[in-house]
Amino acid sequence: MSVNNRDPLVVGGVIGDVLERFTRSIDLRVTYGQREVTNGLDIRPSQIINKPRVEIGGEDLRNFYTLVMVDPDVPSPSNPHLREYLHWLVTDIPATTGTNFGNEIVSYESPRPTSGIHRLVLVLFRQLGRQTVYEPGWRPQFNTREFAALYNLGLPVAAVYFNCQRDNGCGGRRT
Amino acid sequence: MAAIPMATATPTDSMSRVWSMSSLKSSLPSAVTCRLPSPSSRRPVLVSSPSPRLPSFSGLSPVNPLISTGLPGWQSFEDGFKIIDGGGRVYAMRHGRRVPKLNRPPDQRKALLRGLTTQLLKHGRIKTTRARASAMRKFVDKMITLAKDGSLHKRRQALGYIYEKQIVHALFAEVPDRYGERNGGYTRIIRTLPRRGDNAPMAYIELV
Repeated sequence: MSVNNRDPLVVGGVIGDVLERFTRSIDLRVTYGQREVTNGLDIRPSQIINKPRVEIGGEDLRNFYTLVMVDPDVPSPSNPHLREYLHWLVTDIPATTGTNFGNEIVSYESPRPTSGIHRLVLVLFRQLGRQTVYEPGWRPQFNTREFAALYNLGLPVAAVYFNCQRDNGCGGRRT
Repeated sequence: MAAIPMATATPTDSMSRVWSMSSLKSSLPSAVTCRLPSPSSRRPVLVSSPSPRLPSFSGLSPVNPLISTGLPGWQSFEDGFKIIDGGGRVYAMRHGRRVPKLNRPPDQRKALLRGLTTQLLKHGRIKTTRARASAMRKFVDKMITLAKDGSLHKRRQALGYIYEKQIVHALFAEVPDRYGERNGGYTRIIRTLPRRGDNAPMAYIELV
């Protein structure tokens, strides 16, 4: 199904800030503990310390997919000059399996937002073949569009995002 | 022999030892036999009689529902407030009033909106109730418009509204780049799940 204007990814600004419009073709299920991630869900940093369980759909085990997890609102949504921050990168995931079967080339770093409410986006791309995707040099200033263009990943096949803000208030001083 | 109408109810008839109803009725005081007034489902007529004799001035105070002056047609609370002074009409309904009151008196309302716009400009995205989010759009747009102008007068106006001056200076520095081409509509509201404690409808408001 194609993404229309009322889609949560468009409403939440993910399409536009991080991704282009795409057609969803593969199922993507992300679960943190007991909670399944739906678009726009509010999750606390204490619940996302460990990596989630990701299950993808598709039919053919010979197709491989890449999962990228980025935060486009670093360091703060009002001033995102470090857009985006790469939290997790797993490649060579066979269809119908999960990230446990893939190659985790950038290890999962649990998000700790300092200021404001950050969006965290999980994007799934389809690879052309095995071992065609390599890690970037650093985590901040990551650009998903350029990354996809660089490794010929094309448009995404699935995406989901959720919101995360720091656990305890504004972090001390008000000003 | 007829019973003597006295307070005593002893049988005066020596011939019979039973009470007779007529002797009882006649000996009891007459007020008891009258029908008691019905409970106060209707206004007691007794109260309205003093009002013509003592006209009290109740011109500017709302008619107190507890003091029943017997005025007809006093049906609801709003009817007691129909005061016309110098042309300002006060109606019972909200027709055409567009200022959101946010359940607060005017000074608190202004302070709430100032605080919310300060926090939105500081954090970029905040989560609040839907009514507050849609009420603050106007003021956030106003602040960004002041920053787009950029003159000293506008800066001082913004400093009078936003609670933290670093935010004003940062705003005036980055708004020309960020919103230079955009004409209005600098915020976006995304409705979200209701709050658990009171089921209030919540929304994210963010700077576009």
